[in-house]
Amino acid sequence: MRWRVWFDRLLVLLILLAAWQGGSLWLGNYWLSAPWSVATRFFAALFNGEMVFHAGYTISEALAGSVIGGVPAVLLPFLLRRQPIVVAILDPFMVGGYGAPKLAFAPLFILWFGIGIESKIALVAAVVFFIVYFSTLSGVRALEPKLVQMAQVIGASERQVGRHIVFPGAVPAIFAGFRIAVPYAIGGAVIAELISSNRGLGYLVQTGAMNFDTTQVFVAILAATIIVHAFIAVIDLGERFLLRWRPRGAVLIADHGT
Amino acid sequence: MAGTPMLEIKNLGKRFPARAGREPPPWIIQDMSFEVAAGELLTIVGPSGAGKSTLLNIIAQIETASAGEIVFDGEHIASPEQKALHPGLNRRIGYVTQDDNLLPWRTTIDNVLFPLEVQGTLDDAARARAQELIGAVGLAGFERYYPHELSGGMRKRAALIRTLVYDPPMILMDEPFAAVDAQTRTQLQEDLLRLWSLKRKTIIFVTHDITEAIALGDRALVLTQRPARIAAEHPIPIPRPRQVKDIFTMPGFAAIYAGIRADVQ
Repeated sequence: MRWRVWFDRLLVLLILLAAWQGGSLWLGNYWLSAPWSVATRFFAALFNGEMVFHAGYTISEALAGSVIGGVPAVLLPFLLRRQPIVVAILDPFMVGGYGAPKLAFAPLFILWFGIGIESKIALVAAVVFFIVYFSTLSGVRALEPKLVQMAQVIGASERQVGRHIVFPGAVPAIFAGFRIAVPYAIGGAVIAELISSNRGLGYLVQTGAMNFDTTQVFVAILAATIIVHAFIAVIDLGERFLLRWRPRGAVLIADHGT
Repeated sequence: MAGTPMLEIKNLGKRFPARAGREPPPWIIQDMSFEVAAGELLTIVGPSGAGKSTLLNIIAQIETASAGEIVFDGEHIASPEQKALHPGLNRRIGYVTQDDNLLPWRTTIDNVLFPLEVQGTLDDAARARAQELIGAVGLAGFERYYPHELSGGMRKRAALIRTLVYDPPMILMDEPFAAVDAQTRTQLQEDLLRLWSLKRKTIIFVTHDITEAIALGDRALVLTQRPARIAAEHPIPIPRPRQVKDIFTMPGFAAIYAGIRADVQ
């Protein structure tokens, strides 16, 4: 069963590469760089340290932004659990913040925080915050009232209910939020670099496009995709450990839901 | 039945609050009065939807009463004027609900220890007591299992000893064994009787199963369909210790069964 999945994945990868190669032959390597050229350049960049230099920068932005945006996004729904009115007042603003095209804020953040790493972190934080906030909020709201009553009957205080019932119950939703946020975090960092930066994967895309070097653009996109994969793998690992109490089936269903 | 009762229910009534501009909702419980003696195992039989769970919720202090009052151990705990609820009455009333309500992220042992952890009484002696209870209901070896890895009957046992472990003087049980198969239910009933014979808790055991009410109870109350009132009271003079699986063969069983059956609507 397991090897079958991997075999079929390999098959899909080969088909995609073949289509890519076909498109490259049809349009010409100049317009659509061939997979082989991209792979060669990718590994060259990996070994000469250029990839570490640029990808490391993007990863730092994504990590710092995820922490700065993600931690308050996780805490806020818990702090406001007993204040449904405050949550209701905030709701349209949160929906606005969630819905506003935050990538369009990138020029503003660069204006405010400069062309250094700060503006990129700010953009990532803004993107991650709203995604994780709504996910955590749904987890806090999906609370099982019967478990709360059970805890109250045995004498649990409000704080103990929060710590022993509400928080563990919301952990799956928090993980789901971060898992959804990962591509947006990397994407946000890359977009901000694209606009103004002298380092990072977005910078590679930018200079590649300026020099009509589609190979370099693809190398940067490939690197960003691999980073997203790696981040999600780490989240899955943490989830599998922290949510080992969940039946196997439930994990699968949650995976399909995201 | 000598001595002062552990629990007195006096003219208890319950209806949910009326919505503006609507007819007041009907009474769920009306003019209900009964007493429970210390150490008694009282069973309450009533049809589904009769308000049995509501009654226990009011005694457990997770719902308010609309009329009448409740006196627990000489103390007024519920009346219509009551402002705040005191769930579980400071750990003196345990409540085993229909759902086991085990915390899915805790293992068996951690679920059983949960009340002690919350109450700040978790020490080595308490751990030993918990381990003893786990052994007594046949859960030894399953301490590190999560609830979803346990069978329905095991989950019920874990929920039962989670309440016993902190030793509340009174325990409310709301059809705790309803959702398991007949054979497991008989075992659970025998487990309960064995544990109860060791430590004579005051128990109110609600069920819709007449046989269960007879097998377990010192006395059975029959409730009417909504609004719930006491329709009849049946003493159960079957001597203890009782064998639940042979309860049918006990002299007097048939007569008690027929009597209760006639009173259940």
